[in-house]
Amino acid sequence: MASISVPAGETSAPQQPRLRVSDYLRWSVDHKIIGVQYMVTSLFFFLVGGVLALTIRTELLTPQLDVLQTGQQYNTVLSMHGLIMIFLWIIPMMAGFGNYLVPLMLGAKDMAFPWLNAFAFWLIPPAGLLMLLSWFIGPPEAGWTMYPPLSTIFSGDGQVLAALGAHLLGISSILGAINFLVTIRNMRPKGMGYFQMPLFVWAMTATSILVVMATPFLAGALTLLILDKVAGTAFFDPANGGDVLLWQNIFWFYSHPAVYIMVLPGMGILSEVLSIHSRKPIFGYKMIALSSMAIGGIGFTVWAHHMFTSLQPEYRLPFMITSMIIAVPTGIKIFSWLGTIWMGKIRFTSAMLFSLGFLSMFVIGGITGVMLAVIPFNLHVHDTYFVVAHFHFVLFGGSVFAIYSGLYHWYPKITGRMMDERIGRWQFWLTYIGFLLTFFPMHFAGILGMPRRVAVYAPEFQTLNSLSSAGSAVLGFAALLLIWNMYKSLYVGSIAGANPWRALTLEWATTSPPPAHNFVGDPVPFHDPYGYGSEEATAYLDEIDQRYGKGSPAQPGSAAAPQPAGD
Amino acid sequence: MNASMSTRTIFMIVAAGIVMIGGGLLIGQTMPSFFPPEASAQSQQIDSLFKILLVIGGAIFLLVQGLLLYSVIAFRAKPDDTTDGPHIHGNTTLEIVWTAIPAVIVTVLTILSYNVWVSIREEQPAEAVVNVVGARFNWAFTYTVPTDELPADTVVSELPQTIQDKLNQDGAVQVATNELHTYVGQSLKLEMETRDVIHSFWVPAFRMKQDLLPGRVTEIRLTPVEVPGNTDYPVRYPIRCAELCGGNHGAMVSWVVVHKDEAAYKSEFLNTEVSQVLHPPEDPVLRGRQLLESQQYPCFTCHVLSEFGWVGDVGPSLDGVADRAAAARAQATGLSAAEYLLQSIHEPNVFLVPGYGPLMPNLNIPDDQAADIVAFLCTLSVSGESAC
Repeated sequence: MASISVPAGETSAPQQPRLRVSDYLRWSVDHKIIGVQYMVTSLFFFLVGGVLALTIRTELLTPQLDVLQTGQQYNTVLSMHGLIMIFLWIIPMMAGFGNYLVPLMLGAKDMAFPWLNAFAFWLIPPAGLLMLLSWFIGPPEAGWTMYPPLSTIFSGDGQVLAALGAHLLGISSILGAINFLVTIRNMRPKGMGYFQMPLFVWAMTATSILVVMATPFLAGALTLLILDKVAGTAFFDPANGGDVLLWQNIFWFYSHPAVYIMVLPGMGILSEVLSIHSRKPIFGYKMIALSSMAIGGIGFTVWAHHMFTSLQPEYRLPFMITSMIIAVPTGIKIFSWLGTIWMGKIRFTSAMLFSLGFLSMFVIGGITGVMLAVIPFNLHVHDTYFVVAHFHFVLFGGSVFAIYSGLYHWYPKITGRMMDERIGRWQFWLTYIGFLLTFFPMHFAGILGMPRRVAVYAPEFQTLNSLSSAGSAVLGFAALLLIWNMYKSLYVGSIAGANPWRALTLEWATTSPPPAHNFVGDPVPFHDPYGYGSEEATAYLDEIDQRYGKGSPAQPGSAAAPQPAGD
Repeated sequence: MNASMSTRTIFMIVAAGIVMIGGGLLIGQTMPSFFPPEASAQSQQIDSLFKILLVIGGAIFLLVQGLLLYSVIAFRAKPDDTTDGPHIHGNTTLEIVWTAIPAVIVTVLTILSYNVWVSIREEQPAEAVVNVVGARFNWAFTYTVPTDELPADTVVSELPQTIQDKLNQDGAVQVATNELHTYVGQSLKLEMETRDVIHSFWVPAFRMKQDLLPGRVTEIRLTPVEVPGNTDYPVRYPIRCAELCGGNHGAMVSWVVVHKDEAAYKSEFLNTEVSQVLHPPEDPVLRGRQLLESQQYPCFTCHVLSEFGWVGDVGPSLDGVADRAAAARAQATGLSAAEYLLQSIHEPNVFLVPGYGPLMPNLNIPDDQAADIVAFLCTLSVSGESAC
């Protein structure tokens, strides 16, 4: 039993001033405050993007234009919806999880570069503002993909503003990713080799490598686009020697890896939640860790499958092959997760429900992904609602389900309070059913002949679209339940204690919320982050409970009290 | 997996395998119910390939969802059970199996897809080439009819001189329409260009799609086939633009008209169109009017012309354009009304009507057609007489 080791030091740290809302509105270099800043900011943009999504679905209730006045307005709404959900919701939300959790999971006091960390966050509000302002000065109407010449000739000046916003967000991502890589490389505690890291940290490693390598290409593409629009260059204008495919190649060289930038952290969340809430070691740790790296690597070679109807036909084949290959590491993950819950003792917490929901939905997105990699079938469904269905299964059924799961799982750590499980279950079932209703019919609409990004459509698609619109209302309502639950639990949630899920990773081996600089003394990690079901693990977890105390029902008037780190 | 695997376990695995594969095959059977008609040779090959994808995808779907459903039912923790599950970290054999099987599946799928991909692009003997032009938000198709394929009753020496000259020079005349006419069994090769932004040519019933890219000519090959049970010719299938091209993207729709056979194609479509080309109206105003009304050029998408019911508001209205050209524009540009209108067609951005942006593309309208259009536009005056 010698290997049992619990973070040393006093449990009753000296009382520090309680954090107020205003502490979160200020510059702070505490990674926990920054993590929460990322999360709350991205939740705000999630609501904005959600309102835009519901506008789209309301418009599509009928085949004609009726809610919006013109097709251009519709295109603006869908462009903003895409830009906001990708650049201001999923990506920064994942960065929020990373910021809050990576130092804690490594037993570190903070990120490697705290000031840089704060700077990366504070780029987001002005970037978001630029994106929102673009609406008012000749809005972008070329989709989030901004294909020229539609974006260069027809979109208003707002296109430039949106591109500048995306630029800033790219810088923010790159700075954040460098910070993660340095932190993970240098700040692991004694006794934690790469293969003893929590899988969420592995996922953030793969994600950060992707961000550092891919995002500069987005910056390059956006710069050329802005120059074409404001400086009269002709990078994308064939009449003057440019090429429209140049944009598509550079853009997708970033934007396909961006899909993995959005999904890999979610997969990391899943690996934590599934193991902890089914009380069983993760099945095939190394394969899950390495498949993240494999997905990251192969992810750089598949970009032109987004161009199967535009790329020169003779160049298309290699991208079909690489896109097929990437299904293999993705399959490894799905089967490993199934192996993890198999024979476990599954607790149906809200966090677990959303992770199981991810598994169930993401596999559909994976299957349609392989279908789309097949060039001949892709020729039929490219740029149709089939593709819309596919990427929402990946990004909503995948990333967003993982975010929901992560919020329920780590909210107790962040706030010291438990979320309401009854509302959580309601939210899960409404989201699950609403999601299927919204996005499953889109497969059929696409196959039957409905292109994407259309404000008007043939009357025969109205039934399918009405189903989708009905589902989206349910989804929207469920999202509000989450916000309500998070808000209300802050005041009336029961006290979480240090380790409400009895988890082995280090973020749980300190008080909830953790004190300034996270740990009292240097924590020593348990040798196996997923060693559930062993006597050693049970003894370790009991000792944590003893040292930091267990949770208890809510006591009125004692609001959550995270503590700040010094600037 | 395990030497002590019981008979019951083996039975369960076999049963699950049968359910999975049988279920996959069943899902595959549902396919035609959510597909458009299979109206081209290419669509038959693509659909057979998709059926394989659907069977395999269906089986994997059932496998994963089945395991998931079984797990959440069988491995649910009892309310008072606070113990952990078994301390198992993995199983190398199993991990190799679930890496290898998907690898084999995607390899097979890649090979099958490659074969179809090669086959649907194959050059066919005696292809008919049709030129396609996409412009916001309009499709235009141009057929080249060589002299020896003109209607049998054509007497070249009796045709108008301009047509005779053209036949002597090019050996062919062009027929332009807004719908793509073809017939069962015709091997079509479309050569496609765009006047402005990227469009994408898609016929769902043919399962084929290709983008139209500025600065390039792109190609797509189609061979319409007979759809079993269909006796009602000509059959019309929608053409839809699949690449976002602006506000009216969703309305950029046209039709493929498939005639029963070559004879029907000629009698129902080509010969009538050819004879109209061979015998144009004498009056240039009338020719210009026909040209605009045919919507061969996408003028209607951006301009108002009440007579034809055009409501586009991107460019200046054409109602009364002759008077404005003769007065205000002549004053501003120093050109005569007719010269100004011609310039606006060929070089639309040289003079911009105040309040409008440089959005009109050069449509490459041939000189003779442009002259006819100008002649017609000159009559769009208050008096109804030519203002030029």
